[in-house]
Amino acid sequence: MEKIREEIKEIVRQALASKEVDLILAWEKGQLWYDSYPAFFTEEQGVDSLVWDQFCVNNLSKYLLDDGMAGQKVGILVKGCDTLAFNQLVQDNRIIRDNVVLYGLPCSGMIDPAKVRREGLDRGLIKIKKTGDQLIFVNKEQQIKVLPTQVYYDKCLTCHYPNPVIYDRLIGEKVANETLATHAGRFSAVEELEELSTKDRFAYWDQQFSKCIRCLACRNICPACSCEQCTFDDSELEILGKAKENSEDKFFHLIRAYHVAGRCVDCGECSRVCPQGIPLEKLNRKLIKDINELYGEYQAGLDPSIKGPLVTYQLEDTDTFTAGERGRKQK
Amino acid sequence: MQRVGVFICWCGTNISSTVNIEQVVAALENIPGVVYIKDYQYMCSEIGQNLVKDAIKEQNINRVVVASCSPRMHEATFRKAAAAAGLNPYLVEIANIREHCSWVHKDKEAATQKAISLTRAAVAKAILNEQLIPGEVGVEKRALVIGGGIAGIQTALDIAEAGYQVDLVEKTPSIGGKMAQLDKTFPTLDCSACILTPKMVDLALNSKINLYSYSEVTEVNGFVGNFEVTINQKARSIEMEKCTGCGICLAKCPAKKALSEFEEGLAKRAAIYTPFPQAVPNVPVIDRETCIKFVTGKCGLCAKLCPTGAIDYEQKDQIVNQKYGVIIVATGYDLINLDRFGEYQYLDHPDIITGLEFERLVNAAGPTGGKLVRPSDQKQPKKVVFIQCVGSRDKSERGKAYCSKICCMYTAKHAMLLRDKYPDCEAYVFYIDVRTAGKGFEEFQRRAVENYGVNYIKGMVGKIFPGDNQLQVNGVDALSGELLQLEADLVVLAAATQAKPEADEVARMLSISIDRDRFFTEAHPKLRPVETHCAGIYLAGACQGPKDIPETVAQASAAATKAIGVLSKNKLVNNPCVAKVEQAVCSGCLACIKICPYEAITEQVIEEKTRGKVRLRRVAEVNETLCQGCGGCTVACRPGAIDLKGFSNQQILAEVDAICR
Repeated sequence: MEKIREEIKEIVRQALASKEVDLILAWEKGQLWYDSYPAFFTEEQGVDSLVWDQFCVNNLSKYLLDDGMAGQKVGILVKGCDTLAFNQLVQDNRIIRDNVVLYGLPCSGMIDPAKVRREGLDRGLIKIKKTGDQLIFVNKEQQIKVLPTQVYYDKCLTCHYPNPVIYDRLIGEKVANETLATHAGRFSAVEELEELSTKDRFAYWDQQFSKCIRCLACRNICPACSCEQCTFDDSELEILGKAKENSEDKFFHLIRAYHVAGRCVDCGECSRVCPQGIPLEKLNRKLIKDINELYGEYQAGLDPSIKGPLVTYQLEDTDTFTAGERGRKQK
Repeated sequence: MQRVGVFICWCGTNISSTVNIEQVVAALENIPGVVYIKDYQYMCSEIGQNLVKDAIKEQNINRVVVASCSPRMHEATFRKAAAAAGLNPYLVEIANIREHCSWVHKDKEAATQKAISLTRAAVAKAILNEQLIPGEVGVEKRALVIGGGIAGIQTALDIAEAGYQVDLVEKTPSIGGKMAQLDKTFPTLDCSACILTPKMVDLALNSKINLYSYSEVTEVNGFVGNFEVTINQKARSIEMEKCTGCGICLAKCPAKKALSEFEEGLAKRAAIYTPFPQAVPNVPVIDRETCIKFVTGKCGLCAKLCPTGAIDYEQKDQIVNQKYGVIIVATGYDLINLDRFGEYQYLDHPDIITGLEFERLVNAAGPTGGKLVRPSDQKQPKKVVFIQCVGSRDKSERGKAYCSKICCMYTAKHAMLLRDKYPDCEAYVFYIDVRTAGKGFEEFQRRAVENYGVNYIKGMVGKIFPGDNQLQVNGVDALSGELLQLEADLVVLAAATQAKPEADEVARMLSISIDRDRFFTEAHPKLRPVETHCAGIYLAGACQGPKDIPETVAQASAAATKAIGVLSKNKLVNNPCVAKVEQAVCSGCLACIKICPYEAITEQVIEEKTRGKVRLRRVAEVNETLCQGCGGCTVACRPGAIDLKGFSNQQILAEVDAICR
């Protein structure tokens, strides 16, 4: 990764120097070991602080919507999951593809600081090295070998797109995709919920949603939540009041799930950023699973030229409303 | 400040017997905004309307809520009343406390509570109502008739008679439809062709009517007054202007193996053919599937013989795009497929035929020159069995639950014709019931029994066993309970009628609805029998349900009248309840474009200044003339940037809130 980091820096410097782009979206190292946060680079000189490590989990593509990007040629570093999000934004007409230069970065997974802490690996941590299939956590006293599966984000363990699906320039070697089985198994948690009775399932979500503090982090990070003005911010409609009310929390999450249905790229960012640990990916994956079952396998963001199944109509579409006893799904 | 007047109608006792009006009045008194409440026995009466008008003037109310019957009944009445009193008619709101409440409930207490909720919701919506001004749109003074059977012919003639241009699109090479195939018509026994062909000729000679034969409508867009239609004129392989209809090509064509559609497969026809001698237009068509020239590349005899050089093997389908003010659907019917009625052996034996085939066999212009003979050995039958209700009134999957309506009468006609021509031939009719409701119908059927000695047997046939020479018909006489075995020479099946198989497609293309039997649905079974739910599209004939000729013609003329009503107007008033895009909120995902069935939404790129820079942004825009106010887009719009005027999201939510409160 360090070798690639230097390569990235060189490319970014050149791109800025040659005015190929006006600015570049990348990551910068923060104060703490797990802190790799989004950064804008406009000057060649500033590029030294650019970082590419196993904490660069933030999807940067949504920053392309920022007003500040207007009329500029923007370069952006993107991982596999980020490119799905990028494509979705292109499909939703939120980004003009030609105004962006994509620097693709193959990614074998990002480390979840919470898991590192849970394993006690953060104590005295100096650095993390990657050798072959293993991660080595180096502290003052020793070097601890760890399997990536122990510390990677859950979403990375089921990731099916470790390599960018679209890029103008690829930096580094593509990585092997070893997650076929886990990717197929990403719906197992949804299946468990489907097995529950309606009452139990309601109780489950009731409990989960009651934790919501309506910080809206899930919405703000979501690449499918790209509206010019979010319906929840429309004070005239009064869909969401200011008060913390359980029923409104539920509606917030359910409406949001439906608003992103068919466009959710399953990047898992909503669950990652939720400070309350609400498993929002289960909600989104339920809808993805239903769409797959009803209209055939569909991966949002894979190809922006394909129209999503929920905004197109074909005569052969499964018609559960008439075919399946007044809307009940046929078993 | 909105000042709402609420007018509660008793509808005689229709509402007041189930809803406690006093309680409704009392409940509404405390609602903010409601400044005036009045109840009356018949709010739609002139006195009732005056109550509304007076209140607008005297009480200074600026929103009107009428709690009464369905808005489909009297919304227009109260809007007019409001307009007469100087109030914008779209500030009137109807609470349906009859169809939605008193008529469907028995419990007075609960019904009263529901009436209160519904009225409260209407008040909440009315407060948010805004003044709307309808626009105007021109009318294309041209009608499209789809289908050239008797229904389509009659409609086209009537509209042309009123002075408007009509285009008639017929799928087959000639107009005439099923009626052209019939021999005689009940209950007068006049020759079908004799009464139909003059109309066909009229149509052909009428300068107002343009006939697209051998053509199909492939696409319909637009709306009443302004339909945009694409018609595919299939390649006839003949240049219509050059052809004189001399018929040399038909006679000399060496490929004579195809079964004649017009003769119901009882005769062969050439690959180049006109369906029947009186065809309109009298221009042949080359059937490219059986034509030797098209199949092998060799032949070309017709081109060599044609005195005017009208044959054109290279001809291609032609696409015609045309605008119409109205569309009349007259696509007719078919007989059901009998392959699932194994007991009647229709598919296996040539002497078991349908009623339509019988028509051809007794027709002087038919394959036998009008001599009734058995298809198997060309011998004259001595005993003919007619079986009615083959697939009609049959609730099983293979049949049709409805009565096909025409079979009782045409079977009586067939039996009568048979006995008249061949007095030595016996006629037996198996029936479930004989249904002869129609002018002169009962008398006609009785004549068959009493004067012509047709044997009517109440009962059904269980099975037909083809013997060496005859057909053994096993049936039951339901009145005596006796099992019958008849040795018949010919069996005629009154196969059920059904909607055309392409009805689904036509319905989808026109955005009109079909019923469970795939017949097109009229807007109201009693009061709007020839209109569809789509304004400007009308129905004529058996495509709407089984019909005989008199009914078809009556409906065709009715549809023509409705169409003329639209064509006679220079401008149509637009529905002002159309969608509107708040472009500042629109994110440009354009899901609305994909969902809009009227192609009323288009993409627009706008420039926005942000932080001193210009940002280009895609947004949706609604064409108000094309928008029909269905509201599909408003639900597809995630940020709620599209709203339907008169039914805004805010209004709907206000109604929900009012009901839940």
